Amino acid sequence: MSDDHGLVEMEPTPGEKLAAIFKQREVRVATAWGVLVTAIFFVIGGWIYPSWMPTAMSTDMKSIERLIVIFTWISAPVCGIVLGFSIYTFLHRHKGDTPPADGPGFRTNSLVVGLWVIVSSALCLVAVVYGLIEMNSASAATAEHKKNAMVVEVTGSQWAWSFNYPEQGVQSHELMLPINRPVEFKIISVDVNHSFWPVQLGVKVDANRLQTTVIDTTPNKLGDIDVKCAELCGLYHAYMETSGKVMSADDFNTWVTAHQGGHTA
Amino acid sequence: MTTLDHHASVRPVPNPSKSLITKLNMGTGLVVGVIFALATYYGLGGDSAGVFENYNRTLLATMFMWSIGFMVGIGAFIGPFRWLVGKDLTDEEQLYLAGDGQGIKRYFKYCTDHKVVGIQYMVGVMALLGVGGTMAMMIRTNLIQPGSKFVGPTIYNSLVGLHGITMIIAMIIVVTGPFGNFIMPIMIGAADMAFPRLNALSWWVLFTAIPVLCSAWFLGGIPTGWTAYAPLSIQAGPGMNAFIATIIIFAVSTAVAGANITATVVAMRAKGMKWNRVPIFVVGATMSVALAIPAFPTFMVSMIMTGLDRSYATTFFDANLGGSGWLYAHLFWIMGHPEVYVILIPGVAVLMEIAPVFVRKPLFSYNAAIAGFAGITGLSILVWAHHMYMSGWMPMLNGPFMVTTEMISVPTGLIFLVILGTLWRGRPWMKLPMLGVYAFLWNFLIGGITGLYLSDVPADNYLHGSMYVTAHFHYTLMGAALTGALAGLAYWFPKMTGRMLNERAGYISFWLVQIGFQVLFLGMFIAGAEGQPRRVADYSVNFATSDLISSIGAYMIGLGMIVLLWAVIHSWRHGKIAPMNPWGSKTLEWTVPYPVPLVNFDTPPVVTSDPYGYGKAGN
Repeated sequence: MSDDHGLVEMEPTPGEKLAAIFKQREVRVATAWGVLVTAIFFVIGGWIYPSWMPTAMSTDMKSIERLIVIFTWISAPVCGIVLGFSIYTFLHRHKGDTPPADGPGFRTNSLVVGLWVIVSSALCLVAVVYGLIEMNSASAATAEHKKNAMVVEVTGSQWAWSFNYPEQGVQSHELMLPINRPVEFKIISVDVNHSFWPVQLGVKVDANRLQTTVIDTTPNKLGDIDVKCAELCGLYHAYMETSGKVMSADDFNTWVTAHQGGHTA
Repeated sequence: MTTLDHHASVRPVPNPSKSLITKLNMGTGLVVGVIFALATYYGLGGDSAGVFENYNRTLLATMFMWSIGFMVGIGAFIGPFRWLVGKDLTDEEQLYLAGDGQGIKRYFKYCTDHKVVGIQYMVGVMALLGVGGTMAMMIRTNLIQPGSKFVGPTIYNSLVGLHGITMIIAMIIVVTGPFGNFIMPIMIGAADMAFPRLNALSWWVLFTAIPVLCSAWFLGGIPTGWTAYAPLSIQAGPGMNAFIATIIIFAVSTAVAGANITATVVAMRAKGMKWNRVPIFVVGATMSVALAIPAFPTFMVSMIMTGLDRSYATTFFDANLGGSGWLYAHLFWIMGHPEVYVILIPGVAVLMEIAPVFVRKPLFSYNAAIAGFAGITGLSILVWAHHMYMSGWMPMLNGPFMVTTEMISVPTGLIFLVILGTLWRGRPWMKLPMLGVYAFLWNFLIGGITGLYLSDVPADNYLHGSMYVTAHFHYTLMGAALTGALAGLAYWFPKMTGRMLNERAGYISFWLVQIGFQVLFLGMFIAGAEGQPRRVADYSVNFATSDLISSIGAYMIGLGMIVLLWAVIHSWRHGKIAPMNPWGSKTLEWTVPYPVPLVNFDTPPVVTSDPYGYGKAGN
């Protein structure tokens, strides 16, 4: 936007000021550090979280994984700017027992401050909008699931989870789910607050006394689930966990038939 | 207080020997406090009734009466009592209370000198950090391998809760206590705080909370964590009363201290110290306590309600009888989120004060620093329900709270800009305080970015309640705020003790703590991402590696903190005598000698510019 007027006397435009800033050697060296840091965070962010997190067994968990990776990528340039400039100044430190000579006396730079606010606001906006889109698609999926979801009533008590399948007439202390069928969890506590967390499904909500909370998801991968309590609930909070399984529809029906009319262990 | 305007050297040491106040000290406070407590306990029948509510009532009353008795015994109410009969302390008595010329004894008295109160806070904070840190070591020892082999779940849960509340209390006062009291009045050119007697009151009230908190151990501990969620807190044993009483007593102390600091900064600045010439540390400390003034009362109220539920069978938080656990969660987090910024802002402000001195450059964009603090302060009261995304309270409000929470990243970004801009094109003098600035940049960057994931509702579906959260807030509270406080300790140690802090020990401690910190909490991020819930006494074997890493890091921190403790004690007694202004700083506290005279300045200073006039080529 600045290249169409060449008069020397004219006040330089913001674009020209910016170009002048980037002509300084120290800015370029610090920027190089910043680019290096950004690249490192970008690469690490792409694989480190998914490699730590357990296997995603639902679309919810998959989208959380994706979201965390994307947020890491958004953050990478922020890390690059902060650490790039930190590293540069750290490498130019002053050693010794007497203070260094005074540095340049500039007190602010409205262009830099303005740019900083705009860029950080833009990054913040991206994060907000992306999060809202994800929330929206999750609630759209919820509306969709309502139609043919299988209901599981989850009861938290000190210190165990129990599951009731009203449609099937089955009670269990293990969470068994058929693959690819939406499931709606209705969660309640008989005593203090607990938090229902089937880890690999990527959903979580508190179990409250006399207030049913509802979450839904669709398991889409066969395998084992860890069910944990994510809210400190007293003495044996750490042991308030159970296992579960996502199984094929046939296996699930077999399990239902075998357990109808009685409790499993 | 006009009598305090005399020059210290021309005034004889006051000795109003007939006055009661010369006889009172911490010892008489302890005696009267214990008498009050015992009389209350046995007067209300001890635990003989065996009824849950009665026993809770007795214990709470005992704890409050201990606190009141101590304050009576140390002489806190002599002044107010005189007012009631239409008199006041004599000038001589007031000078006696200021403690001038009384040597080490004044630290054990109801002393109104802000410098004495600052030292009292500093020693108190170190004790609290020591206790809280020891509990952290025990927590990590229990988690070093699966199986909870070190302590059982009862003790573990108590450790988690008491470590939490001890550290929260310590971190709330870690900067505004020692430095806000000792340094800040000198920094603004004042002779003392606005209300010296309230200053002594705030410290000694806080002091009475410490035995109350410790008594939780002997009453069976607390099972709730420091969040003390209802209904778990209603169900909890007698140790819970100690928690409740501690919070209520502490809230009184912070309210008094907050009002005092705010009034001092508003009313007692030196001539010429306009608002745009106030050192940034003073601005940060003031914003922090001003934020605490509305925040803490809700915590106090929530604890009063918890106490009533437990001791009078009210049902504020009991869903079975029409109450709501969510009500508690709201009251708690309306305090709880501002509180983290109450902790953070003073630590950041210390580092902003330090950076220009050691880079020999003006603070970059003073206005952006103010805007950053103000933006954080303002937004922080609108974000509390992000702690409740997964509570099921009102999912449709998760979106708005996500927006306000993520907006905080913009004023937070300004804080980075101010510090980076100050460093830029300077040559940082790598003394211990300056190292803290760099540690802060890294730690707060990690703390801030991991906060972004947690503020996002879909990601929080996975991360909420996991070790990831624990690691995140330790990066902000310990990595950022405590680092700022320790940098402040290294920076102001010469002014507070007259001696230089041992540099070699300081460096060893710094690197042990900072490296150990990364090992501990990067390990904990992994555990959280792997799916380990927080506050668990035991865990399954697939988390074993990351927990082992974390425990190793914790021991490094422990070792580093012991080195620091040694350095502080050794330097305080035998350190190199400090010159008046060892860092070449331009703020007013470096213009007074050690020991700082009672009224700080021989002639009241006149301020003609802000304290950041470093650098070539003027403005």
